[in-house]
Amino acid sequence: MSKYEYIPEPALVKGDHDFSSLTRLVTDINLRPTPKAWYIAMMAANALLLVLLGSIGYLIWEGIGIWGLNNPVGWGWAIINFVWWVGIGHAGTLISAILFLFRQDWRTAINRFAEAMTIFAVMCALIFPGIHVGRIWVIYWVFPVPNQMSMWPNFNSPLLWDVFAVSTYFTVSFLFWYVGLVPDLATLRDRAVDKVRKVAYGIFAMGWTGSNRHWWNYEKSYMILAGLATPLVLSVHTIVSFDFAVSLIPGWHTTIFPPYFVAGAIFSGFAMVLTLMIVTRKIFGMKDIMTDDHMEKMNIIILVTGSMVGFAYMMEFFIAWYSGVEYEKAIFIKRATGPYAWAYWTMMTCNVLSPQFFWSKKLRRSVGFTFFISIVVNIGMWFERFVITVTSLANDYLPSSWDYYSPTLWDILTYVGTFGLFFTMFLLFLRFLPMVALAEIKAILPQADPHNYDDVTKEYHAPKVVVPKPQLAEKV
Amino acid sequence: MSEVKQNTYWKSLNQLANNQEYQKFVEREFPENATELTDGFSRRSFLAIMGSAVLLASCDFARRPIQKILPYSKQPEDVIPGISLYYASAMPFLGNLTGLVVENHEGRPTKVEGNELHPGSRGATSAYNQASVLGMYDPDRSRKVLKGGNNASVEDFVSFAKSHFADTKQRIAFISEANSSPTLESLKKSTLKKFSNATWTTYEVFGEENALEGTNIAFGKRLRTYNQLDKADVIVSLNDDFMAATHPNSVENAKMVSSRRKVTGTNDTMSRIYSVEDSFTLTGSLADNRLKLKASEIAPFTFALAAALSKRVSGLDAFKNVNNQFSNHKWISVLVDELTNNMGKSVLTTGLQNSAEEHAAVAAINYALGNANKTVSYLQAPHLSDKGATLSSVLEDMKAGAVDTVVLIGTNPSYTAQNLEFTSALKKVANVIHLSDYVDETSKNASWHVNRAHYLETWGDGYSFNGTRSVIQPQIQPLYDGLSEIELLNIIANGSLASGYDLVQRTFKSIHGSSFSAKWKKILHDGVDPKDGFKTVSPRLTSSFSKNVAKALSKKATTGIEVVIRPDSSLFDGRFANIAWLQELPDPMTKITWDNVALMSPKTAEELGVKNEDVVEITTNGKTIKIAAWIQPGHVDGSITLSVGYGRDGIGRVANSYMDFTTGGVDTYPLMGKELYSEAKVSKTGDSYKIACVQDHHSLEDRDMFRMATLEEYKKNPDFAAYLSVHGYAVPGMKEAAEKGENAPVSLFDEQTFPEGEPQWGMAIDLNSCFGCGVCVIACQSENNIPTIGKKEVLRGREMHWIRNDRYYVGEDANNPQAVHQPVPCMHCELAPCEQVCPVAATTHSEDGMNQMTYNRCIGTRYCANNCPYKVRRFNFFNYSKEFLATGTETDIISMAMNPEVTVRFRGVMEKCTYCVQRVNRAKIDAKIETGSPKPADGTVKTACQQACPADAIYFGDLTDENSTVTKMKRNERNYLMLEELNARPRTSYMAKLRNPNPALA
Repeated sequence: MSKYEYIPEPALVKGDHDFSSLTRLVTDINLRPTPKAWYIAMMAANALLLVLLGSIGYLIWEGIGIWGLNNPVGWGWAIINFVWWVGIGHAGTLISAILFLFRQDWRTAINRFAEAMTIFAVMCALIFPGIHVGRIWVIYWVFPVPNQMSMWPNFNSPLLWDVFAVSTYFTVSFLFWYVGLVPDLATLRDRAVDKVRKVAYGIFAMGWTGSNRHWWNYEKSYMILAGLATPLVLSVHTIVSFDFAVSLIPGWHTTIFPPYFVAGAIFSGFAMVLTLMIVTRKIFGMKDIMTDDHMEKMNIIILVTGSMVGFAYMMEFFIAWYSGVEYEKAIFIKRATGPYAWAYWTMMTCNVLSPQFFWSKKLRRSVGFTFFISIVVNIGMWFERFVITVTSLANDYLPSSWDYYSPTLWDILTYVGTFGLFFTMFLLFLRFLPMVALAEIKAILPQADPHNYDDVTKEYHAPKVVVPKPQLAEKV
Repeated sequence: MSEVKQNTYWKSLNQLANNQEYQKFVEREFPENATELTDGFSRRSFLAIMGSAVLLASCDFARRPIQKILPYSKQPEDVIPGISLYYASAMPFLGNLTGLVVENHEGRPTKVEGNELHPGSRGATSAYNQASVLGMYDPDRSRKVLKGGNNASVEDFVSFAKSHFADTKQRIAFISEANSSPTLESLKKSTLKKFSNATWTTYEVFGEENALEGTNIAFGKRLRTYNQLDKADVIVSLNDDFMAATHPNSVENAKMVSSRRKVTGTNDTMSRIYSVEDSFTLTGSLADNRLKLKASEIAPFTFALAAALSKRVSGLDAFKNVNNQFSNHKWISVLVDELTNNMGKSVLTTGLQNSAEEHAAVAAINYALGNANKTVSYLQAPHLSDKGATLSSVLEDMKAGAVDTVVLIGTNPSYTAQNLEFTSALKKVANVIHLSDYVDETSKNASWHVNRAHYLETWGDGYSFNGTRSVIQPQIQPLYDGLSEIELLNIIANGSLASGYDLVQRTFKSIHGSSFSAKWKKILHDGVDPKDGFKTVSPRLTSSFSKNVAKALSKKATTGIEVVIRPDSSLFDGRFANIAWLQELPDPMTKITWDNVALMSPKTAEELGVKNEDVVEITTNGKTIKIAAWIQPGHVDGSITLSVGYGRDGIGRVANSYMDFTTGGVDTYPLMGKELYSEAKVSKTGDSYKIACVQDHHSLEDRDMFRMATLEEYKKNPDFAAYLSVHGYAVPGMKEAAEKGENAPVSLFDEQTFPEGEPQWGMAIDLNSCFGCGVCVIACQSENNIPTIGKKEVLRGREMHWIRNDRYYVGEDANNPQAVHQPVPCMHCELAPCEQVCPVAATTHSEDGMNQMTYNRCIGTRYCANNCPYKVRRFNFFNYSKEFLATGTETDIISMAMNPEVTVRFRGVMEKCTYCVQRVNRAKIDAKIETGSPKPADGTVKTACQQACPADAIYFGDLTDENSTVTKMKRNERNYLMLEELNARPRTSYMAKLRNPNPALA
């Protein structure tokens, strides 16, 4: 006997599930009649979406002046929201791509809706660079569109890198998500009874039959896309951080920004996944798939990334002092003690202090506490971007230019409105697409590693494949 | 409509102008090409005006009665469309002319510049001069003659005047603002002769009456004191803010002072300026030594100084026995030494609002020190020799019903003389004739209001402060008709309408006599009349001097809080209240726009328990006002300074105070007393009122943007301003660059290449000359079509000025700081941080080294503004230009003030200082045509700010020219780059300030 005792890993899917019960659990939601609660939620989300559209419309009509920006502070809530939403997106890609490559099987429970979250978050984020410019109607000039004047964009500008980085990120994330969806869309096609659904799912399933060749192609393309998406997780926020780091404003011009931004993005992304997961699994009874073990694992990531962010904050301070640059020193002292100290300490409390509770296993596994912290972390990460963007601009080199920035109602409405877009998309996703990657999660069941030979007779028994009929009655 | 929008000033205008015509205008697709507006000014009549102005040019300034000329079917000589013409003229202010050269684009004046030949200008201007262009195009100026408030015509008035003034025995009171016009003077004489019961009052609330009475006490004659500050080694200002635009000779004063403070090397000397004052003024911030005293303490201080001097020099026996709290003051002994060591080389000057006795004392001291006719001249001005009737005596007559007719010329006593209850007296008079620019407070009580023609629209004449005669030449036909002062007085005197041109010519004919037309041409061309001006008088102290000042000598200072009422740096006495450029020009010291405040020292504020923007209640002279408090470091304790000109109603859209009190300020005239200061009760109300201040932070935070040393220190260490001296180490990266044989640290980005043969533009700003007046801001605004944005937008921190004037308080003592001024335009960095970050390459570098903005390409990410370490970029958050221009019923009018050579910027684009690229390129083209090289000769291109600067603080030119002034300045050891360590390599550099304080007062 070895002195080590073998402790089997806890089952990733709890409860007594087999393939067909999982199929039922996940896809019945899409096939059942729409519940009333969904309509109510959708109406609320749509109302917020209208707020967003209204604020954008008024912005285009009236001008950037409706926001609270001023002379030193040229970027405000729009850029903060952009960075915040892009950051949230990161967790989805990390879960689906990086954890895939690292063969972290637990990812299969959450990767589908985490990826959906990524795509919707990036959509929300992409609004802001589009609308925050003074002349929205010529925003296409940032793209290298061939024209008779041979007038190209300025390839030195980090804003241009941003355009490429975020649009690439969105494209790859979307493709990755869609490829993963194909087998599940086929399942839905097979289970759907009404014609409309059958045809619609059929089209998007692209003729998936589950043949060996299909699986082979699928696995390869999924792997390639995961490989493509992995560097993007690091590159997108790195480039977003270049918007700040490449400039020469004290508090922006820092080499620590790329890793610090990526850590922060993963930090906030996981918090958002947790927020969504805790609510969804409750409503849809997914506790067997999205278990407390998942929650605990993600809380550990939050603890790690939160501590990395905290370390980055301290490094910034140290380097500001160590560099001897008076403007750099001044801005960090100003952040902590100046007119925006309230924002700075909100950030510190939410981002550095609050994850430290997760050193306790009990708290890591507490659903209510995790939910609370996940919200706190996202508030904190919003304030981090606020502190970076606004304080540096408001108190830069020449004291004569210093001014105080405060948002207007329109800044707030635009931000709140993006939640309308996000939840509208998310509700549509929950309603029409399987929120768990069925094909993948089945692959991690013990049944996926079957022993089809009789233990005694050693005879082969072909497994029975049953496509379960949809259970149309609503189950609460 | 949003809140933001409604509350921006120009938007409210649109709403105010919500009449049919405006609606129609809005609805049209192409308003400028559509049918003409029916009322007032139209495109067609503009063409007519253009035509007549063309005539002006073609006939050498003569004006013919031809009115209608439409497009040039035949090109008139001298007129090339698109090429501006320049005519000499002059602007009257407080009765003194400042010579101007007016830029005229196809018949419309767009910009005024100083006339180098004119002594009151010497090529520079004040902010009032610069803003007068917008004043002329003000759509709110009065456009009609009003009879009892109803529309009438000039003809109606003429026929009324003919019959009314047939009675030459009637009792007429003429009340005129200060006016030096010889034509007016001769008309005045004949009028007073014709009407035997008429009196003439010259009334200026901030005029020079006390100064004239002062010389009358001292020398027995009303003489103008003309301080030749350029000849003075020592200048002592006793509460005289002679550098500020509110002074009648501010431009020349600044020219004279700065000429004595130019330092090009360690062998140069500087004059020394002492300032004794209550509020912190521009003169005080320029002064080498400054003493805070309450306004009421200035007189005892002056007399104590005279007493101390009387022991060292003769002629001051009148003050021998003065013994007050200042007799043993440290400053007195220091000043006595300084003044007696500089006999005949010093100037003592006292504020125009100070009492006549103080002026007399100062005159006596200057006389005793041998300054008279050396550094201080006493001039006999014909229009000032007669005191005339005082306003108070006229008011008594009016109240007693002893006046039949009052003729008010240009002045607005119903507003400025509220404390004397002028309006109630005016109501006792049957016939009131009022000539004014606006239908103002006085016009509303007048039986006849006659709209005055602007000085840019009408012929006139006058004298500069030191007595040089000039002709005021019109630049355009009156936009709204109107009469000039001389035309009005001529109607009253002669019962007929004569043109100002004839009246002025008649005067000059009588002066010049034979071969008039050639002389006349030259006078018009040069803008100055070389023939004798004011006579310089050799004064002698009168025998009754001691007796006449004796009473004043025992005057005590106030013990409680005193209130001092001053003219406003922007609005003066309220006459410029409807000029948006001036309303939005930050006060040079407080940096406040659009409002007046109660200035007080930090200590006084603490005692009252108030902070900035807290409303205080001030009661004095039986009247009470409420006004926002503002803490002015360096203000004397126990005193509050107020400025006038605000809180108007029914004047114009800019001047009016609105019901919601977002703009407009507070009318402080009711608090005015007989003297400059009055004791007041002040208390906190608990309310607060938002003040739009463009600079929130007043400390340099120990940063090195502003570098300064005393003259002594400079002589010991000429390199005190270098980065190495300031920081103790060289600019980072410089050592490594030097090893490689380069002169600047390495850059990550591609360096600009500047081809041979192109000029390379650069600027140097001499902080030793700049005293912070702010005329550069207005000149730039006028030249570059910069919109005003209103108080709400300024409150949001969106001011649009391309050049701003930073003011910092420095020094150890928080209660007695020094104030320094630093103009900041675009630095035109060679490695411009803004250029690297623009995603669409809308801001790029030109081959002649300018950082350029391509408005058409800009999409408005504002990244460039964020990345500008100097924060000089300005963003059009709203469609400011449209709001500024397309306002009211006649949108064309303000548009006419725009410079056609500069693009009017649209919403959503960035803008900033261009080094006046339109002027530069014009000069380059001209140079290329003439010499084949695009390098203009040094001095041919002047930026608008440089041109307007009365201190010659701004140098601009070609850096490839080894001998250009700017190159020489940049070689000076005081030259330094702001934020040099960023390696942006700015083309604009600064020359460190020097002070010349008296070591005895250190």
